[in-house]
Amino acid sequence: MRKLVSLIFLQLILGQVVFAQNGSVTGKVTDQDNVALPGVNILLSGTSQGTATDGEGNFTINAPGTGSLVFSFIGYESQTVQVSNRSVINVQLRQESRSLSELVVVGYGTQRKTDVTGALSVISTKEFSQQPVTRLDQVLQGRATGVQVTQSNGSPGGDSRIRIRGANSVLGNNDPLYVIDGYIGADYNLLNPSDIASIQILKDAASTSIYGSRGANGVVIITTKKGTKGIKVTYEGQGSVSEVIKKFDLLPAGEFAEIVNARATATGSTPPFTAAQIADYKANGGTDWQDLVYRTGRGQQQQITINGGNEKTTFLVSGNYVKQKGIVENSDFKRYVFRTNLNTQVDKRLTLRFNMSGAFSRNHNTDGGGALIEALQWAPTTPAYGADGQPTFADPIGSVSRSPLDNLYDKSNDISKFNVNAIGGLNYQLPIKGLSLDLQYAVNYLDYKSRYVNGPRVTNKTPNAGLYASDQVTLQNTNSLNYNITLGNHSINAVAVLETQQYTNRNMSATAAGLRFPQLGYDNIGGNSAATVGSGFQKWTLMSLLGRVNYAFKDKYLLTAAIRRDGSSKFSPANRYSVFPSVAVGWRLSEEDFIKDLNVFSNLKLRGSWGLTGSQAINPYATLSTYGTTAVAFNNNSITAGVIQGNAGNMDLKWETTRQTDIGIEMEFLNGRLRLEADYFSKNTKDLLLNVSIPNYAGGGTQTRNIGEIENKGFEFSIGGTPVQGNKFAWETNLNFSTLKNKVLDLGGLPRIGTGTGAGGGMSITNEFMLMPGQPLGSYWGLNYLGTFKPGDADAAALQGRVPGDPRYEDVNGDNAITTDDFKVIGHAFPKVTGGWNNTFTYGGLTLNVFVNGVFGVDKLNYTRAGAMSGSGEARQFLLTEIRDYYREGNEDSDIPAFTKTYQPFTQSSRFLENGSFVRLKNVSLSYNIPSSFLRDKGTIRVFASATNLFTITKYTGPDPESSNVGSSTDTAIGIDRGSYPNAKVYTLGLNLGF
Amino acid sequence: MKKISIYILAAALLSGSGCKDYLEEDTTGLLYGNNVLATQDGLESALTGAYKGLATQWGRGFIHPSANAATLGSDDVTTHPASNKADWREFDQFNPSTTNQRSNAVYNGCYKAIQGSNNVINNFEKTVGDKASIDIIVGEAYFIRAFSYYWLTRFYGNIPLVLAGEYSADLLEIGKSTPEQVYELIVADLKIAETNLPNAKRAPGRPNKGSAKAFLADVYLTMAGWPLKQTDKYDLAAAKAKEVIDNRALYGFQLLPTFAAVFENDPASTGTAEAVFQINGFTSGDSGNSTYGLTTMPGEEGGWDDMFAELNFFNQFPAGPRKDATFRTEFGLSGTKIPWQNSLTKHPYYKKWYIKGDVSNYQASLPSVMMRYAHVLTIYAEAKARGTGGPDAAAYDALNQVRLRGLPAGTKPLAATDGLSAAQFADAVVQERAWEFACERTRWFDLIRLEKVEEANANKSPDDLQPIKPITKANYWFPLPYSDTSLNPNLN
Repeated sequence: MRKLVSLIFLQLILGQVVFAQNGSVTGKVTDQDNVALPGVNILLSGTSQGTATDGEGNFTINAPGTGSLVFSFIGYESQTVQVSNRSVINVQLRQESRSLSELVVVGYGTQRKTDVTGALSVISTKEFSQQPVTRLDQVLQGRATGVQVTQSNGSPGGDSRIRIRGANSVLGNNDPLYVIDGYIGADYNLLNPSDIASIQILKDAASTSIYGSRGANGVVIITTKKGTKGIKVTYEGQGSVSEVIKKFDLLPAGEFAEIVNARATATGSTPPFTAAQIADYKANGGTDWQDLVYRTGRGQQQQITINGGNEKTTFLVSGNYVKQKGIVENSDFKRYVFRTNLNTQVDKRLTLRFNMSGAFSRNHNTDGGGALIEALQWAPTTPAYGADGQPTFADPIGSVSRSPLDNLYDKSNDISKFNVNAIGGLNYQLPIKGLSLDLQYAVNYLDYKSRYVNGPRVTNKTPNAGLYASDQVTLQNTNSLNYNITLGNHSINAVAVLETQQYTNRNMSATAAGLRFPQLGYDNIGGNSAATVGSGFQKWTLMSLLGRVNYAFKDKYLLTAAIRRDGSSKFSPANRYSVFPSVAVGWRLSEEDFIKDLNVFSNLKLRGSWGLTGSQAINPYATLSTYGTTAVAFNNNSITAGVIQGNAGNMDLKWETTRQTDIGIEMEFLNGRLRLEADYFSKNTKDLLLNVSIPNYAGGGTQTRNIGEIENKGFEFSIGGTPVQGNKFAWETNLNFSTLKNKVLDLGGLPRIGTGTGAGGGMSITNEFMLMPGQPLGSYWGLNYLGTFKPGDADAAALQGRVPGDPRYEDVNGDNAITTDDFKVIGHAFPKVTGGWNNTFTYGGLTLNVFVNGVFGVDKLNYTRAGAMSGSGEARQFLLTEIRDYYREGNEDSDIPAFTKTYQPFTQSSRFLENGSFVRLKNVSLSYNIPSSFLRDKGTIRVFASATNLFTITKYTGPDPESSNVGSSTDTAIGIDRGSYPNAKVYTLGLNLGF
Repeated sequence: MKKISIYILAAALLSGSGCKDYLEEDTTGLLYGNNVLATQDGLESALTGAYKGLATQWGRGFIHPSANAATLGSDDVTTHPASNKADWREFDQFNPSTTNQRSNAVYNGCYKAIQGSNNVINNFEKTVGDKASIDIIVGEAYFIRAFSYYWLTRFYGNIPLVLAGEYSADLLEIGKSTPEQVYELIVADLKIAETNLPNAKRAPGRPNKGSAKAFLADVYLTMAGWPLKQTDKYDLAAAKAKEVIDNRALYGFQLLPTFAAVFENDPASTGTAEAVFQINGFTSGDSGNSTYGLTTMPGEEGGWDDMFAELNFFNQFPAGPRKDATFRTEFGLSGTKIPWQNSLTKHPYYKKWYIKGDVSNYQASLPSVMMRYAHVLTIYAEAKARGTGGPDAAAYDALNQVRLRGLPAGTKPLAATDGLSAAQFADAVVQERAWEFACERTRWFDLIRLEKVEEANANKSPDDLQPIKPITKANYWFPLPYSDTSLNPNLN
């Protein structure tokens, strides 16, 4: 101990001695081609003194004549240069064999990529900087193995579903945990992609267990850019147009009228159309509702970043503005994001940082639904507008529901989010070598508001409006001690952290029905008698202790051990705490002589890991049986408030725990020209939190219980390289694909549990999905459609009270009645394989980026088509051209049912289940950098053009195989498309200026 | 420098090491536990919640046409032969599935109301408050529970009999109780309600003492028929109905002078004095009543063609002011009128459920009247006829009051001198009920208790939907919903 103290003392004195003899050194850092390198780190060896090069590669540093400077830059080999009393030092850095010394953020610290023992993917900004991305999900899609991104809502600002290594939780949303600059649980929607410095995706338990009870779904760690010395301004502007990818084939009005008449005649009703009307429709056409609903969308993005500072203090200020008008009429999205990142070095030990971002976004009518459903249910024979110039109010023939036009224009659904995130932190090098203390405080404030008004037309004369507002405040405190030391062949990096997080949500709501002044919308609802108000409060807290040790011997043998203990207020005291350990090992074979001698590998690493992570996939208060509020009318002009029993609580709830094992190999050949990485993983989640239905006779609803077990297994494979690397022309490519096999192992003895939301309009008669041991999550539950009863099946049909031509469903239990007892698993909503292929071709200043992604082995339940083809539910008729082939005399081969009185359709059947696999040319973009000589080195100009979703190969009959809407909030019920907002083809032009 | 580091370390340790309370769950703003019902306001709120089971638009109970759909097996109402009416047709064709959303809404609603009333009944003794007020609250809870079980056992026969107000795991294994056991509870509950309830309704949508007596009479009448066939109950039914008739002024009941006034359906009025018990609707949130309006209107008027009259029933219906107020025979909201014979569905529709002014809307601030004073009169007439001694003068008077109001002015009253036997008189009452309560969810239960479902359906016009298979006693009850049988195998 005394030795240590005197060592520290010596260190302090020496530090001062060094300072005393300082001289100023300047210079320029370039690459092999003499191109200036900005942002190169320069460190005075043996101290924490350092600086970075400015935009032109120049630097200035105080250094003793006898010292040495270490130049390091990501992607380049570090160089140590003796000062030797020089005042000017110019350095040329060599590009290193790719990424070997890349630093990656691993959560509560960084690590050299070569030392990483866990499975993690890194997405560099280079991969997307030339594409018109407005949000993080577009960056993640197809670019990392094990990450599935589904743009399930194609509306401007619409949500995506992101899954890392499948879905573990039935109840939770299975979204990965987003950590932005150390703040846990950030909202990526409100992040400006241009502010991103790096993205790391942690996949295996060795990487994610450090996030304990929130790590089971993988972690996406985002670090935002820091300022650099000097001053640099970048501007980027983009404009885009978009259009629908595909429309349904609808019958022309004349033919539709003939088919309606044929059906009326066959079922004994009066045919509604006269011959003259039909002739008129044939001559003059009818209403094309799809044309009235879709439009050409437009969008723009403006972006400015100012970046600068001096040796001690740097700053980055950025602003981003996005405005998009969607391809469905009257739908749009706006977003503003501002950010300031400040870093300052107070002295050689103490650095301070402060990051703040503010964002505002507003979605207007971006939920798809109504208009898109009704466009396929309203008859083409019904005129869009009446004689009074108003949209036609009711459809006498087709849908019983409101007009597509009233669905578009007579309602507003607005969601706004105002988010402020402030992170302040300090890092202090303690007077013990390698030991530092880091304190960080974060405040996140979200003001969430949703407002709606449904006018007198769309509500059929009962206009209503409402508002919901919530104030959500999250406070986080992270205190960590870091210790880094290298002793001979041993290097140790250790971290210990105490962290707390607290979330509160205060909300209020107000609704009014039977609006007396519908024109005031939701902006003044007080003047209506039927108004209700509500308010709520929610709070949870989490307290955690965690630690991790990374140990490397000779840089060859690597070991990581981590542990986290989380305590959560959501559980009763007995189940409050849980421990999540993990361990991982790695072996860098390429450092062994016997591999070096092969002269094949520039890097070869084997790694394996095991660990536990958790999920608190429940809301606060799930342990308690609570009452909700309700209201009952006891007369004709008022309501009386009351309380009604809600879901049954469960005091025994505890954490859901995922055990994950991972084995991986990393290979690089030809000095990094060819790279391969492969992983196999197996995840097993037990004590599954499930909402188990309670019988209606016992009050109905659900109770949350810890039962059951789910397994996810898969391979992840990525191959990348630079097949062509010429003087002027280069081709870089990266192909990745992942397989996923999800299986429910056990449901606590229950044979099955139905899930799903019950799609409206009479589409579903029971849960659309079934959890069953042996089957994956997202297994569709429905009837097996066998086609129509044929003339020879008259007897079999009669047993069910049907006639030939009626739909025939598999009578699983053989009781001659088609009931829910005949339901079975008819398909799967989770893709079995996903992949992406990214290519960058450069020729001089031209860059062409081609990105293809694909999803395979997935089924979708197409309820949009079912609505237009079942003649049931809200839609009373058949509207798609496929009805032309309906079963009738002379066309008995058809499996499209005949027009009979005994016709009983079940839309929840394999008839409307379609193959949702697709391959999509997700993005093509071409950009051109105007040569810097042309601009006399005063700046950079880049112009680019890009097309998104240009081309799709799929068998799916809807507009977009990727979009779905009903029940998409949990993974037990995904993949139903009922008027979901489709993704669009987008063409973008852009300009990027830097000076 | 060292000092700074000490401060920083100290700050780090202090800031993170919150007190033990840090992880205590903060339940500010939550309603849970027994204390909710500890006050009179809490008890009243819980009672209101129990009513919600009977009055949730589309989802639960009776303020939407679910109960109308489920009683389509009678001979007064039918539905569209094609279109989107599969849920409705299943009842008309005697093929209801275990997932039929119509009957499930009644099932789920009644059980939600039972849970809420059980909660009140099991906890009121701990409630602090005015005893007289608490007695009324409790009386209403007993009434709601009896009302709900009465609907359930008539629809489903053997059902789980739940007396718990809170969920517990043992409820997952409960078996079915017989109608006999269920009726025992219904009668006991109505007797308590009869004692506790005041003479005047607290609000139009609540029961009073007369409501409890009237339902008890109706329950006795049903118990006397299929399936219990406790014929001694006819006397009890007649006696109970007579109490209501004799005290009608006290309870505020009245047979309105004209039949049309009963179905004026004016949302500005809070109901009529003919309502013995009604569930109110008010177009706010999920409290609007959708039994009225579009559901009963033809496509020609923008309606949904959900329910309309069976042809033979309409044709045999005796002419008079009642027939005029019951049916809509010409369609069209303005301009040209289309006679029903030329309409798309070629059926007359029920005017009874039109909103005043033929407002084309799917909901209105109107009540679902679950029993009218006319029911009480006919209960007395029939029960007296089938009970000891046969029909008396009061029975004739009760039947005549209803009959004469519906028939053309000057129609001769029925009299003992017409020479009807007691059985014939009783049958005349049942027939009168068919006309009087057409499409009011009454006929189905009359046919069942008198075992006349087969007979009534044999009389259907060939142009109406026919049963898919021959009707048997198995068709008298619906299968229990799949949502519950799949969770509790003891219900199979």
